[in-house]
Amino acid sequence: MKPIGADERTAAQEGSAHSDEQARPLVLELRKVTCAYEVGRAAISDVSFSVREGEILCLLGPSGCGKTTTLRVIAGFEPVVGGEVYLKGQLVSAPGVLLPTERRRVGMVFQEYALFPHLRVSENIAFGLRDLPSVQRETQVHAMLAMTGLTGLERRYPHELSGGQQQRVALARALVQKPVVLLLDEPFSNLDPDMTRKMREDVHDLLRRTKTTAILVTHDHEEAFAMADRVAVLNNGCLEQFDTPETIYHTPSTPFVADFVGQADFIPGTIANGKVLTEIGEFPNQGGYQGGASVVVMVRPDDIHILPVEHSGARILARQFRGSENLYTISLPSGRVVHSSETSTSVFPVGAPVELQIVATHTVLFERKQTQELGA
Amino acid sequence: MICAPLMYIVYLALSADSSVWSRLWNTRIPELLFNTVSLAVSVSAGTFVLGVSLAWLVVRYNFLGRQVWEWALVLPLAMPTYVLAYVYTYLLGAGGPVEQAWQIWAGPEGRVFSPHSYAGATLVMTLDTFPFVYLLTRAALLNFNLSYEEVARVCGASRLRRMLTVTLPLLRPAIVAGLSLVILYVVSDFGAVSLLRFQTFTYAVYQQITGRYDQTAAGVLSLLLVLFALIFLVIERWFRERSRFYQTTGRYRVPARKPCGPLGTGLITLYMVVVFGIAFGLPALLLIHWSVSAVAEGAVDVRFLGFMRNSVFLSGLAATCALLIGTPLAYLASRWPSRLNVLCLQAAYAGYVLPGPVGALALLVLFSHLAPFWYGTAVVLIVAYIVHFLPAGLQTMEPALQQVTPNLEEAARSLGLGPVRTFRETTLPLVQGGFVAAWVLMFLQCMKELPATLLLRPVGFDTLAVRVWLEASEEYYKLAAPSALLIVIMTLPALLLLVSKDWRAA
Repeated sequence: MKPIGADERTAAQEGSAHSDEQARPLVLELRKVTCAYEVGRAAISDVSFSVREGEILCLLGPSGCGKTTTLRVIAGFEPVVGGEVYLKGQLVSAPGVLLPTERRRVGMVFQEYALFPHLRVSENIAFGLRDLPSVQRETQVHAMLAMTGLTGLERRYPHELSGGQQQRVALARALVQKPVVLLLDEPFSNLDPDMTRKMREDVHDLLRRTKTTAILVTHDHEEAFAMADRVAVLNNGCLEQFDTPETIYHTPSTPFVADFVGQADFIPGTIANGKVLTEIGEFPNQGGYQGGASVVVMVRPDDIHILPVEHSGARILARQFRGSENLYTISLPSGRVVHSSETSTSVFPVGAPVELQIVATHTVLFERKQTQELGA
Repeated sequence: MICAPLMYIVYLALSADSSVWSRLWNTRIPELLFNTVSLAVSVSAGTFVLGVSLAWLVVRYNFLGRQVWEWALVLPLAMPTYVLAYVYTYLLGAGGPVEQAWQIWAGPEGRVFSPHSYAGATLVMTLDTFPFVYLLTRAALLNFNLSYEEVARVCGASRLRRMLTVTLPLLRPAIVAGLSLVILYVVSDFGAVSLLRFQTFTYAVYQQITGRYDQTAAGVLSLLLVLFALIFLVIERWFRERSRFYQTTGRYRVPARKPCGPLGTGLITLYMVVVFGIAFGLPALLLIHWSVSAVAEGAVDVRFLGFMRNSVFLSGLAATCALLIGTPLAYLASRWPSRLNVLCLQAAYAGYVLPGPVGALALLVLFSHLAPFWYGTAVVLIVAYIVHFLPAGLQTMEPALQQVTPNLEEAARSLGLGPVRTFRETTLPLVQGGFVAAWVLMFLQCMKELPATLLLRPVGFDTLAVRVWLEASEEYYKLAAPSALLIVIMTLPALLLLVSKDWRAA
């Protein structure tokens, strides 16, 4: 059961975040940015979003969607063919304008970390501090080492470190310069899965403590939800949605987003009498569609509950035990398949007839032809 | 058996009377040491500049004909040092074309530097060995992860600082490995220094054996030479090992090539034409020209065919024997790497630190003591070839064997094949390519081998390489050309085979 209060809390959070935002200045702004590696084939087109000081933003999307390109545009590695990029109010990229990377004061952590293999840990971290007097440099490097938990490793070479340690060095090297904005390109993809969770928490904590504005690129929605204040979902070089993680999950603006950020079933229905009629019940017509229109309703597994009954057209097709929940696959009389998430202890036999209960608090509707490209 | 020559050299040198040591120490050694070291230093400097700059241009810039130049710059390796040296004794010699051209400008008293000098030896060796540095630097640059330079940019480093503190240091292992190969080549080279009459250790060892018949003195000089070569072999290994850490694994992006305008293309092409021309193009044209007129004069006669037969017979036999000896060594070491098996394999590499004349000296003395009835026959020569070139063959055979995982053989065994059939039907077809390559490499190395052949050949049994050297030392340029050209042409496929193996993958 999903309590109604959950949504109220979400709304409350949004409200507070909103008022907080007004106080904090914009650090980065993209206005209708278009970037093309080859003429006529845009890698990203008309992408607009902004980041406020101290905020963590995730660029989320499948591989090849343009999220890394967006990051490289912000870093100044790629010129833009349309739109503008502002960094702390200064125009840094526009057609014909390109402030070189070395003068942007951005920090970057690469996917494979790119630690200089010929330099020790402390030399790697100090690489960007050349202009400081050596005493000051030393102090800052030491403070950074302590903050990232690397004390004692400063004399090592990168190949003598574990993956997690290498990542911390890469982070320390970027953070020690106090960048205007920190860019992280799939920072956790080279780590072991059990290491990833711990590093996510550590990095999140570190970014908060240093009040760093950060942009993180990832293809993993769980990572984006865990880390981000706001998420920008990209697909085929276009920005599909830019919102808080909660909004993106519960009220996705396109079928692509709905499908990408979690398990979703799309149930076809038609509008009649101001309601959406579907195989599994009626839904309010929140999209304001005309009567007779063909639509689909998006439902998530946690919106559907099942009850075993004597007779029903719907049956349990399979059960997947996931530790904290049981995910049931249910076949409807029409042959369509939907999913339901039940508590860890609710175990029903496969093949049992069940009744569906829909407990969605808000209905997400799309036009039917929109979802056809997803194959739903 | 493989190690015996090396041990014997050590024994010979250490058992030498102290008076021999002190005499040599007071007369020859300082001069030889100075000559060898200074030649190594100047050739390293030359190959560094040429190799690194050329590699940088072909990897980082895009210009017309780049792919052709990328390949062409390897070709000088196909020219044995004695061939290049002999071409240059003609070009730079008194009354040669370069002097004549110079005199048009500088007047009839104008002189160019003599090829029989430090400068001449440096020039020839540099032109012949710069592809080592070029190849290794090019491979390292192609493997270079652009992220390193981008990180440096993010850290606010300027273009110059990026090159000095990031790019060049990351190329260092590759460059040093290349330079070590060059130095190893220089100190063990006999052909060029003997034709240019420049006194280095190899040439002195040869003179001690043939001119003075002083085997003890030759042994002493050899030991020093071996030690010298050993140092650079160790350095090369060490840096290759290190360069592993400098390579990025997983996904990374390669820097884009910078397009060049017409002016840039023109300048780069001019540079490539000059380097390639003097290192390979011009000598090759000259050889062809001489060969044509030599053939017209009837130089390619029955005798010439005889030399060819000798060369092919000796090289073929040596390569086949080496393959037969090498197979169990490589197989045992890759399947059951017990300490003894690995030691056997390592011992076979000892041939690397035995420059031609030194190995020849050891075998000369060994055979005359132990098996005098074989002394002066082709057997000694074949043993010398095997000792010298087995390491190169093993280097090709070992990876081929390692590619065949034991699982494959186990799968064959589990399907009911006996050990012999397993080897014949599973292992052999898979390693065939590598073994053929190893045979070809060893065969062609033997074809161009000079010093050991000179010292150990049976009386009157000349090979192509020996003819080139004999003819060239007498300054019969035209007579030497057909043999030299034949060697160069035959070496080309082996070179391409060697290079193409890790051309893009490198």
